[in-house]
Amino acid sequence: MGGGIKLNIEVSYLLENLLAWSIISKNMRGQIELKKLIIVLALSLILVAASGLVLAQENADIVIGMTANNTGVDSYQTLHDQAFREKCDELGVEYNILDARGEPMRQVNQIQDLMTKGVDVIVVWPVSGQAIVPVLRQVQQEGIPVLIANSKIHESGFELVKGFAGPDNITQGVYAAQMMAEALGGEGKIVEVMGTPGYITAEERSAGFHQEIEANYPGLEIIETQPANWNREKSQEVMENYLTKYDEGEIDGVYVGDDNMGVGAINAIKSAGRGSNLKMTSATMFADGYDEMIAGDILYGTLYQSPIDDANYTAEIALKLAKGEEVDFFNYFETPKVTDENIDEYERPVW
Amino acid sequence: MKNRILKLIKEQSIWIILIFSLIFFGIMTANFFSFRNFQNILLQTSINGIMAIGMTYVILNGNIDLSIGMIYALCAAVVIGFQSLGIVPSVLIALAVGLIIGAINGIFVAKAEINAFIVTLAAMIGVKGLLFVYTGERAIIGTNLNFTYLASIRIGFMPLPAIIFIVLLIIGEYILRNTSHGRNAYAIGGNQDAAEKAGIDVKKHIIINFMLSGGMAAIAGIIAASRMNTATTTLGRMDHLWVIIAVVLGGTNLNGGYGSLIRTLGGILVIGILNNGLNLMNVHTFYNMLIMGIILILVIYIGKKFEVTKS
Repeated sequence: MGGGIKLNIEVSYLLENLLAWSIISKNMRGQIELKKLIIVLALSLILVAASGLVLAQENADIVIGMTANNTGVDSYQTLHDQAFREKCDELGVEYNILDARGEPMRQVNQIQDLMTKGVDVIVVWPVSGQAIVPVLRQVQQEGIPVLIANSKIHESGFELVKGFAGPDNITQGVYAAQMMAEALGGEGKIVEVMGTPGYITAEERSAGFHQEIEANYPGLEIIETQPANWNREKSQEVMENYLTKYDEGEIDGVYVGDDNMGVGAINAIKSAGRGSNLKMTSATMFADGYDEMIAGDILYGTLYQSPIDDANYTAEIALKLAKGEEVDFFNYFETPKVTDENIDEYERPVW
Repeated sequence: MKNRILKLIKEQSIWIILIFSLIFFGIMTANFFSFRNFQNILLQTSINGIMAIGMTYVILNGNIDLSIGMIYALCAAVVIGFQSLGIVPSVLIALAVGLIIGAINGIFVAKAEINAFIVTLAAMIGVKGLLFVYTGERAIIGTNLNFTYLASIRIGFMPLPAIIFIVLLIIGEYILRNTSHGRNAYAIGGNQDAAEKAGIDVKKHIIINFMLSGGMAAIAGIIAASRMNTATTTLGRMDHLWVIIAVVLGGTNLNGGYGSLIRTLGGILVIGILNNGLNLMNVHTFYNMLIMGIILILVIYIGKKFEVTKS
């Protein structure tokens, strides 16, 4: 297992070496030699083709097709990509993983390419929850099952896909609300810093938090919600404004959509010197949040959402669909609560 | 005879590269040579292809238009946003937006004599801002399902967007070859001062070509909106570069004065086939981009090599 990956890595080394070689020879002789460039190109194509053939021999006749959102743009997506490939190797299935690189039109085209290729299941990590809905109609007519990964699509597309696999953002919001209630003893005023409005992940994390507070904690009140678009600097600004607007004692808790924004807000709180009477909960842990929780007192609780668990779970569900098995529509993996109490049970996240 | 063949190879190198890539991917992937896949390639290339028509005109003048990706995204948003007025009015409004932005670009380049790179870079940023303001950073979802239907119409085996692309390309090539506007485009790109002295209204032609570029980007945006029934702020971030690469691949001179739309078609098809073929071949994402880059630089290098021997 994993031979394909290893070979792929070797191919990449070879490619780099060959490229370096051609550049060096260019420097030595003052010009690029066409012949060498052609040799480099031919060799690299042969190697890539060979690695594809090796992959094909290794596994059974099932092919999982995937188009990812934007691999490499952040560590979560990069680790998800790696883990997904490793899981596919472990399960012994072939895979064809494409990357939409953040472009909705490219993702639509890639879904069509995967259809042409005739894969057994198409996993889509949507760039846009709406833009892929029309092309999904074509995939449905073709009879290829579609699994949506990580972020949900617009509801108008639900009837076109077999299911969703990923984190449950609403539950994450609910958990964060429960931890907030613990931290504040059920009494207090809360301000919220949310992700990019209009993005389902941000909206759901906010909605879950609001639902839980309204339903179960009458002593808690959310006095204001502002977006910081998942951006640390923006979050610091938003928090600075909150601190100016609300004096000492007028806010007790801060809820943030993820640790990245959390760290920004904590910076603002620290420089205003108001850390002693504010508690924060967050909907997703990042490495910085982990450090902050160990070192400081402000961040009370966050949630452990691992891209590796996410990818493994998604690959398993995708395999079931490829085999024609029925799955639940919503397939959520566990994102446990992490506070000072149990943080030593978790490793520092690498994302 | 031998010289004539050699001349053909030199002048039509993009088609030879096209044939090589067809053969290569035909051998390497199982489903490449299928009717369905060629439909896919045509559909996938039509959006950038339409933008490349306008871009070829602008580049023939010796200018460049970096703003088309954002005009494309804005017009996609506009056509969805005005859908409540009906399909025809919303399409016309989107077209007008593209033409107006193109005209503004052209006026700054021609009348204010600011470098086209700077003008259209500023336009790219400004139009992106407009897009964010207009959409409120949210995706706008279409409500009219008939509009989505447009992009999936097939006439014979050809998808409607591909037909629009081919028709526009033929008209564009005809204008280039047979009208004074076309001939003047080459003259201006060849030597702007000489063209001016010869009595050509250089400013007018430059403005028209930028409007053409904006208008083509608008048509591309309308097609994209129809294919996705949505307009998002993430649309079109890289498309201007792909379009420029396609035009240059085709052999149109970046300094202006030399090139044609048929060559641009070759460039667009080569990029489309590379994208599609590498996807079908299951090349790892990162090598996909690496290989794409190597192939493109190689092709442009070969083109350059031939150009040198010609003179």
